[in-house]
Amino acid sequence: MQRRRRIGRVIERARKPDRERMTALSKHVPLWFVSLVLFVLAFIQIELNPFGFSDMIERYAQDVSNLLITGPYFYGTRGRDSIAAAVIDEDTLQTLKMPWPWDYGAHARVLDALLQYHPKAVVVDFLFVDSRPDPTLQQLIEEIHRYQSARVPIYFEGGIHLPYGEAALRPELAATGVKILDPTLPVYAGIARQYNFTGACFGGSPANERTCLSLALQVFKDNYPQYPLAALNGMMELVWGIRVAPQNAKWITATDSTGARKSCRFDLSPLRRIFLAFFDPAAAQNPCPYTAEIPVVSLLEGSDDPDLVALATNRVIFYGGALQGGQDQTYTPVNGLLPSVFVHAMALDNLITYQGKPKQNVITVWGRTLKSNPAKIIAIMPVILVLSLLHIRRLRARNSQRSGHGRGVTMEYVFERGFEHLWHGLAYGLALGVGLILTLALGLSVANWVGIVFVSAGLAAILLVGVPESLWGYLSHVVREDF
Amino acid sequence: MNHFALATVMGGCLAVLSAAAWSNDNCNATPGDVVIEARTPQVDLFKDAEGTEKILTLDKGKFPACTRILDRAPNMMLQVEIGGTKYWVAPHMVHYRFAGKLPVVCRNLALGANQEKAGATRGLGEGCPQTGGSH
Repeated sequence: MQRRRRIGRVIERARKPDRERMTALSKHVPLWFVSLVLFVLAFIQIELNPFGFSDMIERYAQDVSNLLITGPYFYGTRGRDSIAAAVIDEDTLQTLKMPWPWDYGAHARVLDALLQYHPKAVVVDFLFVDSRPDPTLQQLIEEIHRYQSARVPIYFEGGIHLPYGEAALRPELAATGVKILDPTLPVYAGIARQYNFTGACFGGSPANERTCLSLALQVFKDNYPQYPLAALNGMMELVWGIRVAPQNAKWITATDSTGARKSCRFDLSPLRRIFLAFFDPAAAQNPCPYTAEIPVVSLLEGSDDPDLVALATNRVIFYGGALQGGQDQTYTPVNGLLPSVFVHAMALDNLITYQGKPKQNVITVWGRTLKSNPAKIIAIMPVILVLSLLHIRRLRARNSQRSGHGRGVTMEYVFERGFEHLWHGLAYGLALGVGLILTLALGLSVANWVGIVFVSAGLAAILLVGVPESLWGYLSHVVREDF
Repeated sequence: MNHFALATVMGGCLAVLSAAAWSNDNCNATPGDVVIEARTPQVDLFKDAEGTEKILTLDKGKFPACTRILDRAPNMMLQVEIGGTKYWVAPHMVHYRFAGKLPVVCRNLALGANQEKAGATRGLGEGCPQTGGSH
């Protein structure tokens, strides 16, 4: 009976709480409760990602970082100077009067022209899946044998998700023993920001392996043995360079809507770049690819142009297409829409530039790999503890001032405001510092780092409006006063 | 004596330079467009300019030097006559001298065009079995 009455009073207080009583109780919120509330809120933001808001902030920050910080200032050119792309575009078809699709013989001639420059390796970014009748198929087979004789690695891509059991590569080509790689490109909200570490296994891979390395990873592993690959977990976070290969500026231009031609160098002052990155990102993008592009026409005419020799010799060459309607295009954060061959090139560029230790969406601590969300939760813990401690100190100080021994009103106001600003600054500083340490020491991606700062700012705002003490006051009033 | 030494050195230099020039392009006797020599270890000879049929593959040493170019296709293939038979050869496989003007290779990208996608070639849904629902 007494128990039932108690419950009735609890329900009554829950429905009509006493405001003054709650305010009095809220002043006695303990440290552990503040920390718990902040932890729960941080967990919800990080793990459950409500409305995709946290993710959006992270990816937007990653794009802005590419355009503003890493791209123009920090991303090295070691990879750029080791890779080139020979791309068949509309101009190529028009100049050579060779309508698309080309027969295998034409591809064989391009590959043979490339071979004469002694490239480090060649990756063919065309899917040769269809068993269409073509008398020139033998020419491509012979060309593959020429590569094998010259000991220049050549890679083909395998078709994926082929619904009728077609071979990943035409059996006649696969029979040459050429390596077949998985070209899958993950897109996040339509933009290429990440790259797979692993992919499907095709012919030539050990039978007991269920996953093999993805295209860029396999090419890197085969051709850069001096840089051992880091432990691979999760996905690679692509860093996009924006300092376009200088050779591109010699023969590629961009025309804006008014018909004015612009150079691929696309020099923007730092201030203008900052303004555009935030307010008009499309205007800060350069449509010219970062990777040096080799004109296929020049290859086929057997040009001895010194630029061509420099671009093709001892480099990894991606051979692909940029054709209208080909649908093999991907949106990138720094260029807009680009032929997908450049995404593979950028992934390999990252691997070379970071010497086999690309940015990942995981961190590895003492040999253990943590996914990005647990890593972010661990990273946010010290921020939560310090913020909670400061918040409790502030509350206690405020209580003691109001209970008699106060300074003058003005002094009190100035002191409190100053403390609040200091407290916010500390929250951001802590989050930035913890994130920076994790980024530099453990390879946390910039996107995840910004995520931590974003969550910290959210927690500071929650403390500012007094959510934990209000919650404590309400719960204490409703639940504890009868027990 | 000094004059003699100077003349000897200059004469030597002239001889070396002449030899280099001669070895770079020793088809001066052949007028017009000419294939000077093979460039790749093997040279493929095709029946037509499209390269649909490979007739013969010659080793570098067996490819005749100073072969006149009879014709040049838009796809850059060169027509030559070897042993009384006309063949087409891919220009990257040979060193050649061409009097005509080669096309300037340029590429232009339209700014802003990368914001749009185009290229569907089928009427979407035409001929597909309808699965119901309101139309």
